[in-house]
Amino acid sequence: MKGIYVHVPFCKSKCTYCDFASFPKEIGKTESYFACLYREMEGRGKQLKNKTFDTVYIGGGTPSVVESKFIVGAIRQIKKQFNLSKNPEITIEINPGTVTEQKIKDYKSVGINRFSIGLQTGYDDQLKRLNRIHTAKDFLICCNMLKGENKSADILIGLADQTAEQVKKSIDLAIAGEVNHISMYALTPEVGTPIYTDYLNGLLPSGDEIAELYDIAREYLSQKGFERYEVSNFCKKGFESKHNLNYWQRGEYIGLGVSASSFIDDRRFTNTFSIDEYMNAIIYNKAPEISSDIIELEDAKFECIMLGLRTEKGVDKKQFNQEFNCDFDKEYKNAIDKKGEYLINTPTKISINPEYLYVQNDIILEFMK
Amino acid sequence: MSTVKENIRNFCIVAHIDHGKSTLADRLMEKTGQVSERDMEEQLLDSMDLERERGITIKLTPVRMFYTAKDGKEYVFNLIDTPGHVDFTYEVSRSLKACEGAILIVDATQGVQAQTLANAYLAIDNDLEIMPVINKMDLASARPDQAVEEIENILGVEAHDAPRISAKSGLNIEEVLEKIVEKIPAPKGDDDAPLKALIFDSYYDNFKGVICFVRIVDGKVSAGTKIKTFMSDKEFVVTEVGVFSPKMTAKSQLSSGEVGYIAASIKSIEDTAVGDTITEVNNPAKEPLPGYKKALPMVFSGVFPLDGSKFNDLKDALLKLKLNDAALSIEPDNSAALGFGFRCGFLGLLHMDVIQERIEREFDLQIITTAPSVSYKVYKTDGTQMVVENPTHLPPVTEIDYMEEPIIKASIFTPPEYVGPIMELCQFKRGVYKDMVYLDKTRVELKYDLPLNEIIYDFFDSLKSRTKGYASFDYEVSGYQKSELVKLDMLLNGEMCDALSIIVHKDKAYERGRQIAEKLKEVIPRQMFEIPIQAAIGGKIIARETVKAFRKDVLAKCYGGDVTRKKKLLEKQKEGKKKMRSIGSVEIPSEAFIEILKTDNEK
Repeated sequence: MKGIYVHVPFCKSKCTYCDFASFPKEIGKTESYFACLYREMEGRGKQLKNKTFDTVYIGGGTPSVVESKFIVGAIRQIKKQFNLSKNPEITIEINPGTVTEQKIKDYKSVGINRFSIGLQTGYDDQLKRLNRIHTAKDFLICCNMLKGENKSADILIGLADQTAEQVKKSIDLAIAGEVNHISMYALTPEVGTPIYTDYLNGLLPSGDEIAELYDIAREYLSQKGFERYEVSNFCKKGFESKHNLNYWQRGEYIGLGVSASSFIDDRRFTNTFSIDEYMNAIIYNKAPEISSDIIELEDAKFECIMLGLRTEKGVDKKQFNQEFNCDFDKEYKNAIDKKGEYLINTPTKISINPEYLYVQNDIILEFMK
Repeated sequence: MSTVKENIRNFCIVAHIDHGKSTLADRLMEKTGQVSERDMEEQLLDSMDLERERGITIKLTPVRMFYTAKDGKEYVFNLIDTPGHVDFTYEVSRSLKACEGAILIVDATQGVQAQTLANAYLAIDNDLEIMPVINKMDLASARPDQAVEEIENILGVEAHDAPRISAKSGLNIEEVLEKIVEKIPAPKGDDDAPLKALIFDSYYDNFKGVICFVRIVDGKVSAGTKIKTFMSDKEFVVTEVGVFSPKMTAKSQLSSGEVGYIAASIKSIEDTAVGDTITEVNNPAKEPLPGYKKALPMVFSGVFPLDGSKFNDLKDALLKLKLNDAALSIEPDNSAALGFGFRCGFLGLLHMDVIQERIEREFDLQIITTAPSVSYKVYKTDGTQMVVENPTHLPPVTEIDYMEEPIIKASIFTPPEYVGPIMELCQFKRGVYKDMVYLDKTRVELKYDLPLNEIIYDFFDSLKSRTKGYASFDYEVSGYQKSELVKLDMLLNGEMCDALSIIVHKDKAYERGRQIAEKLKEVIPRQMFEIPIQAAIGGKIIARETVKAFRKDVLAKCYGGDVTRKKKLLEKQKEGKKKMRSIGSVEIPSEAFIEILKTDNEK
């Protein structure tokens, strides 16, 4: 599998926890940004013309904040410049406060078939505190516009004063919106974001408290028919995000636009985080990359394990042995012995015992050389 | 050019810590034109990084100066620096042996302190002429008359004519120089007698071999002289002699009364033990100079490489340090928790600290050290006796008849208002009160007998905090005393950790067990499972704490751009893990072994 990621670095206003490349004040540059984006697509498309891509993901920022013609243009350009497989999964992230019937119609017209909706929480006071621009009701209106479509909702745990009951109610709201996929993230206070101040002042729940919320929510999601397939991702049977699974299976992907990361031909590289720098680079026919790493064999193996063990399915040992021409059990005997009680190890695959998926770093570390 | 003996002055400076020893030395060098003020790096003598940072002197650094006195004659001053701290008494006595006089600095704001006394007595014992100097006259709180009175009353040294100076501002330094000429005797000795040169320090130079720092007592030596020492039969031909100005500067000859160095392509430092006497092969002296009393290590601690594969590097580092630190003892050690390492003996806590820091800085090695211990005498039921420096070597209780522990005579100087808190502290540390003397209205000397094992943990810190830093402390080991001692073991997840075992007094065991368990709970990071921490004596558990299992240890998201970031995060965690040691399935950070000592005993 291979994926294409497109970054839209604009939004109406910054959420308090957001440390992504998203610049509400630079929304006036939309037109020129997309012009550059199309040009980057053209260039990358030429380089990658012997590869076929199976998924497209338009993320941000808030992709739904810009006029739909830009998104339509981006998808058309991708279809023109890249080889896509027969029925590609094409996802767009949308904010309930920015969608209209027309936009959705336009999205669908170019083949967008999956909608990832930022809900975060079903409580308006919490949404306000996070500086979200929508209400719980907006979410339901948005879902209604997308009736019958393949939808996902994002939910945050670890908000100030958040109770388990509130998390459950937020899940209920997502289910009322008829989503078939839920991403449930623990809020991570990053340095430089406004919410980091809350964290420093002890207003956010501790790791133990978040783990408690997570366990309760996970149980509740399971009751409602949403099974976990990755640490933070739950879905009804068959509705996994293919695009994201590709990351965890260490498939290739090309990232387009500001801050986008790529993994192609054993090289990981990332574009600049500045819109101006990005546009300058594109205009002068230079790669907008700011970092590039060739992934050597040992690193590649570790990545494979680190990413695979995030998923319920774990690492496919047969595939691993084939790809790296080695014997997994022999090579990682020490780690398997040491952490055996936390692992499920069969002849064909190895995964973390579901009870321990939330304390996986310590296990994964054993596999690092 | 050789100077007539009458115009040589060999002296050292002794003082309590921070009374201005290095500053005065710098000032003397500056005034004699040894170093220009502009070029002068502060405190030249303390050339080891560690010395400058801590404001202490560890190694002996001699320096030669020229001074034209008011009588019109030019004098040669040889200043041999001395360490001020109690742990280095041994080194002090080494430099004293090479001098005729000692400048005794007393801080005008603090008066006579514990180490002033200890060092002054040492100088007096070595028959040195004591020349008092009152320093820090630039401070508003200076009380020079009182300082003079204290020197006269407490030390019995005449001080009414002591120069009143400020080494910092340069006040009255000239007077010090004149006083050196006037008060400190010129060396005696016979240039024509057989060579006798006292080795007071040495170090290894990659090009010239061992460099011996010497005081020529009798005779003379120059390049080409065939020499030997009294303790070794080996003969060497001198390749270079010289003086310290303050860099080593070659000279054609050294003769009696002079202080300098000798190089003779000596490959092994063992051939030139400090305290030994060098003489000439063809015209040997009949007997050596009186040497030094060998310093016995009193505090012992396990030293292990953080990275087990660096064992040989650690061995090399310790051997190199031992080359010019005779007081350091080294023995191979082996711990179930820490692997292969060494049991090292030190003169005291500061010595231990300094050695550990030098290993880390000068040899770039990361080490783990275990709780310091003292050496106990164990009398067994079968009538035999053994010395135990490592708690894990203690025989089973059933085989022990009784044990003895080292006792020190402690002398504490303090303003009277802190006598109460100090007595309380000494009481708590199992001290036995001996005496209390009012030296004057502002100073009391308290004398206690204390078990050494009670002061090796946190006595200094407790004393400082209870007296706002006003008390000073000095001690000497006085002997052994029968004591009710037990071995306290720590169990992590049911498994004993040998590196955490300590020997304590029976009455203190419960409390220390509880404190260490609490401390371990603080320093051991949470792991995937719950970790019981237990303190035990024999098979009996006396304290318990629990480190809860962690519940969240995961990166919430991991998409396209997060892969590299997460990998770096894990690499960092892995680095941290490498610094951990495993006791069974429990991982504990290396600092834990030393952190557990930092318990406040009064809680």
